[in-house]
Amino acid sequence: MSDLIRRDPRTEWIARNRLHPLHGEALFSTSGHPVGDVRGPSGLLRKNPHGVGFIGPNGIKRIDRLAIQLGESGPQGGQRRGAKAAVEVQLPLVTVESPDFYVVAVLDMVGGRLTGHDKDVLGQGHKLVAATEGKGAVVAVTFGDSKEEGFDKAGVDRLIQFRGEQYDGYSPEQRVTALEAVERELDPEYWLFPDSIAGGQELGCRLAARLGERPATQAWQVDAFTSLCRGGSQRIDISRETPRLLLLGEECADQIDETRHEAVVIELASVPASLSRIEDCGAVDVDPSQVPLGEAEFILSAGNGIHDWDQFHQAAETLRATEGASRVAVDDGFMPRHRQVGATGTWVTARVYVAVGISGAIQHMQGIGQCDKVVAINSDAGCDMVKRADLSVIGDSQQILAELIRLVESRQQGGAEDAA
Amino acid sequence: MQPDLSAKSLKVTSLISVGQHPKSGRARRAEQDARAVELGLTLSDDQLEMLHVGSGDKTVMRSYLGMGLPKMTLLKQGDRGDAVPVLCDYLATHAPDILLTGVRAESGEASGMLPFLLAEKLGWPLVSRIAEIGEVNDGVAEVLQALPRGQRRAIKVRLPFVASVDNAAAEPRQSAFGPGQRAGINDMPVAGGDDVVRSGWEESPARKKPKRLKVVKAKTAADRFKAATAKASGGGGKVLKKESPAEQAQAVLDLLIEEGVVR
Amino acid sequence: MILDGLLPVLISVALALLAIGALRRISLWRAGQPESVNIIAGLMAVPRRYMVDLHHVVERDKYMSNTHVATAGGFVLSMVLIILVHLVGLDNSLLAWALLASTALMFIGAVFVYKRRQNPPSRLSKGAWMRLPKSLLSFAATFFIVTLPAAGLLPVNFGGWVLALVLMAGIVLGLGELLFGMGWGGPMKHAFAGALHLAFHRRAERFGGGRSTGLKPVNLTAKILGVSKPSDFKWNQLLGFDACVQCGRCEAVCPAFAAGQPLNPKKLIQDMVVGLAGGSDANYAGSAYPGKDVGNAKGGPTQVITEGLVSPETLWSCTTCRACVEECPMVIEHVDAIVDMRRFLTLEKGDTPNKGAETLENLIATDNPNGFAPASRMNWAADQNLRVMADVKDVDVLFWVSDGAFDMRSQRILRAFVKLLKAANVDFAVLGDEERDSGDVARRLGDDATFQSLAKRNIETLSKYRFNRIVTTDPHAFHVLKNEYKDFYPDGQAPEYEVFHHTTFINELVKASALKLDMYKGGTVTYHDPCYLGRYNGEYDSPRELLAELGIELAEMERSGFRSRCCGGGGGAPITDIPGERRIADMRMEDAVATGAELVAVGCQQCTAMLEGVVEPRPEIKDIAEIVVESLIEEVH
Repeated sequence: MSDLIRRDPRTEWIARNRLHPLHGEALFSTSGHPVGDVRGPSGLLRKNPHGVGFIGPNGIKRIDRLAIQLGESGPQGGQRRGAKAAVEVQLPLVTVESPDFYVVAVLDMVGGRLTGHDKDVLGQGHKLVAATEGKGAVVAVTFGDSKEEGFDKAGVDRLIQFRGEQYDGYSPEQRVTALEAVERELDPEYWLFPDSIAGGQELGCRLAARLGERPATQAWQVDAFTSLCRGGSQRIDISRETPRLLLLGEECADQIDETRHEAVVIELASVPASLSRIEDCGAVDVDPSQVPLGEAEFILSAGNGIHDWDQFHQAAETLRATEGASRVAVDDGFMPRHRQVGATGTWVTARVYVAVGISGAIQHMQGIGQCDKVVAINSDAGCDMVKRADLSVIGDSQQILAELIRLVESRQQGGAEDAA
Repeated sequence: MQPDLSAKSLKVTSLISVGQHPKSGRARRAEQDARAVELGLTLSDDQLEMLHVGSGDKTVMRSYLGMGLPKMTLLKQGDRGDAVPVLCDYLATHAPDILLTGVRAESGEASGMLPFLLAEKLGWPLVSRIAEIGEVNDGVAEVLQALPRGQRRAIKVRLPFVASVDNAAAEPRQSAFGPGQRAGINDMPVAGGDDVVRSGWEESPARKKPKRLKVVKAKTAADRFKAATAKASGGGGKVLKKESPAEQAQAVLDLLIEEGVVR
Repeated sequence: MILDGLLPVLISVALALLAIGALRRISLWRAGQPESVNIIAGLMAVPRRYMVDLHHVVERDKYMSNTHVATAGGFVLSMVLIILVHLVGLDNSLLAWALLASTALMFIGAVFVYKRRQNPPSRLSKGAWMRLPKSLLSFAATFFIVTLPAAGLLPVNFGGWVLALVLMAGIVLGLGELLFGMGWGGPMKHAFAGALHLAFHRRAERFGGGRSTGLKPVNLTAKILGVSKPSDFKWNQLLGFDACVQCGRCEAVCPAFAAGQPLNPKKLIQDMVVGLAGGSDANYAGSAYPGKDVGNAKGGPTQVITEGLVSPETLWSCTTCRACVEECPMVIEHVDAIVDMRRFLTLEKGDTPNKGAETLENLIATDNPNGFAPASRMNWAADQNLRVMADVKDVDVLFWVSDGAFDMRSQRILRAFVKLLKAANVDFAVLGDEERDSGDVARRLGDDATFQSLAKRNIETLSKYRFNRIVTTDPHAFHVLKNEYKDFYPDGQAPEYEVFHHTTFINELVKASALKLDMYKGGTVTYHDPCYLGRYNGEYDSPRELLAELGIELAEMERSGFRSRCCGGGGGAPITDIPGERRIADMRMEDAVATGAELVAVGCQQCTAMLEGVVEPRPEIKDIAEIVVESLIEEVH
């Protein structure tokens, strides 16, 4: 091997061209040093500024100091920081001892957990506490058993939980009686309810009627003096003095997320039983296929690409999805007209819309405009539905549906075994 | 569920209001009130009373009447009037077995308080957001209540009662122009106070609600920058082409589970 | 001869029976609603209307036209001469010779009728109509023989009593069918009712080459809106139903019938006849409504039609394409009758099927059929920089955008047309958010109240501005603006503008060299005539001329021009959506595919939507405006 130092002009050229894809390697081979830190002749650690970072999409060099984009460049620093962030920060605890007044928030607790709307209402409670003179505490009132563990982080200073079978199911009369007891004991400065179809609106209105209060409804911008309320058909805003009882719209205030609260449970002396003229006979099992399309939250929709209709119906049943269809499938008589999705059929609002074998005519796309997540199962990767979809699987819909049915069935069996 | 024959002798009153089309703002038959009338018509054809308090916009009243009622009662009152005392007075002397209302008005304050106030004042039980009234036996009605996303709850309630009718109830029949024009409006001027509280309010066209931004509690400038510039939807969707059907199905199922529609 | 004494008696009896039957028939028609007609002028016009207008339609079938001329001409002439020769007893051998000639002519005609009836196509009714050629033959033959002595060709006392009996039977049969039957509801009723129908037709403008296609307004203060019972029809409509010859040409062209929807225009008219006379359809011997049996329909002049005589589905199957009206040799107005009955269903019963009710409610509340915000009508043109009438007030051309503004597919057509208008430097503006639905759909769905309200408000808007012409890309709006709005102008006012369809307008621009166009580069093209442009408004040429300007040689479909088959999108048919065995649009696409065309040129957004709804593979569908834009040579400034 010769001792002659041979220059490789090409490598040097690449080393100078930081846009070249092989730039990093070329730099290493010409300098003999790895990209990044270099021990200089004086023993100091030197950074090679050309060696760090990467070329961004528009050709500008970017240095990613958090090592999120590229794991390789500056890995140590990034990992160290990442590890630090992973440790949960203990939020500061806010305590209210012997409060001067109370703001009572009656929560929906759908499925025994705080809803986003509930948290908004609690946030609004703290806003009102802050705007009122004196020390105030936000009291959360819940009915029935709760599975919630995050009352403290949602801003609950005090907690009243009405439990017992008299509060189960649809029991508005008993609940109002309970709230009346709260009124007597705490004399709240404000009553707050979520203006929701999950029960908040009904309870709020009932209590307002009982107490003779005129509530602010669908309020979405509230301070201690004025409330901005949405009027009918979402077409007007009403600006009015803030009353004592408020039914709050969604996102009325920021949720509490930087503090912890005590969530001290208050026990009320006793709540009288109310005379109930309403008897809850329990939930009626509703077949998902009977749910009107416009109301359905999960739609499995079939188009021209479906050949095995029995399998499609089976899939909808297994997934407990509401069936929809494209115009062509309806025209061809495979599905009834009231199942047609689109501008000429029903405009749907489903959270998840699975389109099987639907290429996506423009009228159809208009009809699913309000769906959150769209899944396309189609044999044509170039169709409009695939362009719109959040997830597309390209292939034979019959096979994919068969697999899907199999997976869900095995999952259900597995679930049953787990439970057993 | 077909209403029992005994239900035919029921006295039903449906309250109607002047609705408003959400897109055009034009006065129209309110959707829930029309459903209340429809429900009333299926419960008792001839014993249904249609009742309106207010100025009684003629075309709107006629569009309700076009559903096939020979007449209706109009308690005439100014636009700013308070309907509740007027209704209480009237219902005290003309008490029905079932009083049907909408859940919420389509115009004005739309507080949804009316059925609750009436129930409170009349001392009747109230069932909110009903979809259907089934059999009525021995003074007890079987009612189906509408819950979100198409779910239903069965309820029994003692007569007389107030019920607010949800959008999930049966669609109202088409309003026919001819009968609507010919039906009679029983006009009764009533003395009722104005809604004083409301006079201090300011109304303005609805402002667009600001969408809550995802506030990122970022500790570094880069994090904040990223949060501010991140694309909202994350661009186009994921496309799975070459995977086996099993893998593809798994991907779909994962999404369904993640979204909580498959449990 | 024995007959000599008997013949005048027989003829007199038959004539008397005819007169009684005719009076009875007339009294049936008079059960209808009053409608003023000019009796003298009407009767005077019959020969011309018969020989020109009616014959013009019959002539589309040469065989039948010649046959009918011979038979009918021969019969009318014979009848006059028979009265002179055999009843009055004029002894003139010239008359007798003439009678011989006319009965011979009639005989020849009748032979062809007979031949036609040997193996009749399915569209023809059977039953009593199968008897007709024999009656015609025996009438012509017997009177020929009976007249021979009068012409001096035979001795007066020829033949024996056997021949006399045979002739006697023939005369009774012939007179019975042709005179008695004419008055008492036999097949020959069509001659008597038909002649009067021509005289008192509700749309006299149709004769002499005119056109009358706009629907008649409903008096909204009437006791009953629309037609519920046969007696709610105008009396001359009832008369028109009686004129039907059951030739079934309407049936052969009806798109709904072909698609297996429960409509057959011929059966519908016959059911109307059952209704006006009372009884059942048991004697009807033609094709039924697809999917329904004959014999169950019962009705009477004062019985509600939709309760037992005609099912509502039948009425809602119609696309109002007017193919039946165009083909009807008796100039019967099927579409008027159907819409009249729909009006009752919608305005009185509140029973518009499927999405009908929703569409009408949207039209009432938002002035467009899909319930979009009226203020978003101009959103499609956000990038078009269009002038709005409210700003300019005075303009040459008003572009009527129509509800296509809300539909993303139709917007492509609108944009293409705007580009052409701009390229040709046309002084134009749009109404913007002031425009409303033209009311076409509401009217065809029977809701004349909503139509009238929309029409009056649109007229009010139009009256605020000055312009010379309206041009629109929607043939439905075109028809309504051109033909139906004039009934709703306030007293003493009339529209002062011309209405153009965009194909006509672009054609004019091209002819005036206002647009520079390249030759079309592409495959075979066929053109689909929209019903509301063609049959409703007679515009068949402009679109074809325009396409020819682009160097396109059309591969015409078998059914094109006035015989064009509907796309299935008219008359609110996609809204009422009555199920059939096939889709009309699919059948129309088969017509197009049969020409081998790669592109179907269309002049209507509704047709575009319907035809594009056909599952691929199929030819591409483009509006003519879109095709022209592709060939437009844009000048660079």
